[in-house]
Amino acid sequence: MHPLHIFSEVLQMALDYEESKTKLIEGLKKKSKSKTKFYFNDLAKILEAKPREAKKVVNRMIIDGHLEYWSSGSTSMYGIPGMGKQAAAEHED
Amino acid sequence: MAFISSGYNPDKPMEDRITDIGPRKYDEFYPPVIANNKGKWLYHEILKPGVLVHVAESGDKVFTVRCGGVRLMSTTHILEICDIAEKHCDGYVRWTTRNNIEFMVDSEDKVEPLVQDLESRKFAAGSYKFPVGGTGAGVTNIIHTQGWVHCHTPATDASGPVKATMDALFDDFKDHRLPAQLRVSLACCLNMCGAVHCSDIAILGYHRKPPMLDHEYLDKMCEIPLAIAACPTAAIKPTKIDGADGGKLKSVAVKNERCMFCGNCYTMCPAMPLADQEGDGIVLMAGGKVSNRISAPKFSKVVVAFIPNEPPLWPTTVATIKKMVEAYAKDANKYERLGEWAERIGWERFFEKCELDFTHHLIDDFRDPAYFTWRQTSQFKF
Amino acid sequence: MKHETPLLDQLESGPWPSFVSDLKQQAEKRAKNEEGIDFQIPQDVVEDLLGVLELSFKDGETHWKHGGIVGVFGYGGGVIGRYCDQPEQFPGVAHFHTMRVNHPGGKFYTTKYLRELCELWDLRGSGLTNMHGSTGDIIFLGTTTPQLEEIFYEMTHKHNQDLGGSGSNLRTPSDCIGQARCEWACYDTQAICYDFTQEYQDELHRPAFPYKFKFKFDGCPNCCVASIARSDLSFIGTWRDDIKMDQEAVQAYIGGEIPPNGGSHSGRDWGPFDINKEVINLCPTQCMWMEDGKLMIDNKECTRCMHCINVMPRALRIGDDRGVTIMAGAKAPILDGAQMGSLIVPFMRAEPPYTEIKEKVIEPIWDWWMEEGKNRERLGELMKRQGLQRLLEVCGFDPDPRMVQEPRSNPYIFWKEDEVEGGWERDVDKFREKHQR
Repeated sequence: MHPLHIFSEVLQMALDYEESKTKLIEGLKKKSKSKTKFYFNDLAKILEAKPREAKKVVNRMIIDGHLEYWSSGSTSMYGIPGMGKQAAAEHED
Repeated sequence: MAFISSGYNPDKPMEDRITDIGPRKYDEFYPPVIANNKGKWLYHEILKPGVLVHVAESGDKVFTVRCGGVRLMSTTHILEICDIAEKHCDGYVRWTTRNNIEFMVDSEDKVEPLVQDLESRKFAAGSYKFPVGGTGAGVTNIIHTQGWVHCHTPATDASGPVKATMDALFDDFKDHRLPAQLRVSLACCLNMCGAVHCSDIAILGYHRKPPMLDHEYLDKMCEIPLAIAACPTAAIKPTKIDGADGGKLKSVAVKNERCMFCGNCYTMCPAMPLADQEGDGIVLMAGGKVSNRISAPKFSKVVVAFIPNEPPLWPTTVATIKKMVEAYAKDANKYERLGEWAERIGWERFFEKCELDFTHHLIDDFRDPAYFTWRQTSQFKF
Repeated sequence: MKHETPLLDQLESGPWPSFVSDLKQQAEKRAKNEEGIDFQIPQDVVEDLLGVLELSFKDGETHWKHGGIVGVFGYGGGVIGRYCDQPEQFPGVAHFHTMRVNHPGGKFYTTKYLRELCELWDLRGSGLTNMHGSTGDIIFLGTTTPQLEEIFYEMTHKHNQDLGGSGSNLRTPSDCIGQARCEWACYDTQAICYDFTQEYQDELHRPAFPYKFKFKFDGCPNCCVASIARSDLSFIGTWRDDIKMDQEAVQAYIGGEIPPNGGSHSGRDWGPFDINKEVINLCPTQCMWMEDGKLMIDNKECTRCMHCINVMPRALRIGDDRGVTIMAGAKAPILDGAQMGSLIVPFMRAEPPYTEIKEKVIEPIWDWWMEEGKNRERLGELMKRQGLQRLLEVCGFDPDPRMVQEPRSNPYIFWKEDEVEGGWERDVDKFREKHQR
């Protein structure tokens, strides 16, 4: 499958991408004083959307470089690229 | 070394990107005898330890020679496997779910040369490269996790104890003298990235000391709320500590008596290491199985609370396992799995026959299900 | 060798294949480099791995640190970051990341394909692997951050091969050998495993679940891939009609012409085969007996435990009305204790395109778990928290006594208002007309 299938999904999605993107980035930045990595459910809550709808936005934000993954191996989290202390601690900054 | 580009353009990661294609399709890799008879197998028989024949409705037969594989495997070794498969098996080979390697041939006369070839190959220092066995009522390969070769939270090594244990159980890898199959598994910490909780014998790495706190660096290396949230028993709280320079440092405090030594905090926060030479070691569990045969699948039970790590050969762990295997071999009925045997004779008898001490650590006290494991009948054995 | 390894060297003797010897031969091969490979990561990576492993054997402690950021662009799984905590001493393994490569069903390979993978991994990684990881993937063990995208690009462009799962997503599904070479497989485990893996690629690569989720496919109740113990949805082959019998072969077993259990007990003299002792009396439902020299089975009472079929594979065969039993919620002990899969579907057909399984089982369960599951809560834990009833409601399944070992032994039923005649709204004044305060 070509990765652009993500965009075709976005075209059909109920949430407006630009609006959702702004909402999510603002929501995450607001919380970034205490932590910068979030579970998927936290993102869905900020977006006030069902997980499957939220996922479409999140997938595209990853491709657009507005979000990045962080994985513990067993669990995954999301954050704004470059924010937080992990990058420095992992020498990947 | 000069950087060789694959064609990937880091400035445009989406350019020509191919994703979501999944694995190669299984049937590309079937040997012809498998492709021709799939779904039409009549029966099988183990001709001798490590050698099976499957007979199809068509009359076709596939002879499989199973040999021990080491999960941690180099390309050198894989390429040798390829050489063997090309020499004997028209370039086909497969692995089992327990890290064994299976070479398949389509006629009986090809079996002996293949077996001879496999058994003749040894590493420079003398161990077999491809010992034939691992079938029937014997010990098959130990499945295991990464251990000190790769993992950041192991309480023991994996490849080392596995090698030491398999050396001790080697005769049973190549024989069918046990009452039923005996599955041994190893996970190097309680998170069990390889599940071992339903094995006849499980070797489990276990930490016994709560994490250390690298206060000077904790707030620099970690996001404290994430470390707190990582704890499954809510044992971590935020706190302030007096720093070396007289200032206050943001850090965490751990309620040590609530710590279950899982290392999840260390995964989120490298300033909370918990590995410890004296604290870490091995738990032995026994009596689990996944098959529905005769009795329902069972969880393994803790039978030895702690054995210190003894690299490089883990002699106490190996000897304890060997003792259990011998007691089981001597006493169990034909077809009876280790756990079925323990339940039939009673766990009190199991400890006696295996010469294992019963300590308070072996009585469950973790949350609700603990109660159901206490003896709630006057029936027991003296 | 670059480092002395006196402790590891002790693991080179003994008969079982020595991983230390294998690491050493790999280290030597890289050092010699007879093929003139332009190694893209340090040539002495394996020597440094031996060195750091020796140090762990000495210290009794690991020397690895976790890394959560690295991965390939757009995927949340498939790569596990690792860094050595003694990088100056062992620069070859300073970065030592893992890649999970989605293995083919049944773990069948052609040597042509294995050689391609080896070539890629020798060039761009340590050349060390796990064949295979616990979930089933081929594990590429040890490469540097800049190589991750290069490896992924080559894999997808040249080898038509994708990564497997890690993190909070669908983990690489895995299967038993199934119909490819087993007479007991009640459905095509490889076909369904491949179909679901392809169908749910987005779930596999882009984590949006509360935690990991595993599918495993066992062809029969012997459960060779242990689905019942470790997969959130476990598919176990089964049948509903009669076990097929060949009475002549039964006699051949009784007469000792065919070894019982496919010859698996050949290492000891267990005495002559005794069908009563070894089969009939071990049947958990006692639904077998001999009559006029013939083996009889009351198939209606059979629970398909496989014992008799395992013991006499040439006389007894699985039935023809085949499908899967689906169990949900299995997991290893972390955190609240181990859970075995609980039965949610006694029988369903498992034939392509598997629409019923996808639309009536998998997708409703995922929707429920994604909405209601707490962070890091496995499906089994959600089932425990909200009840098996809730899962049945979500899937629209009727309750069935097959789903329980026994009915509840407490009467504390949480009745819902619409189940109670007249509902819960009552007029207290009317009550008082009959009862004084």
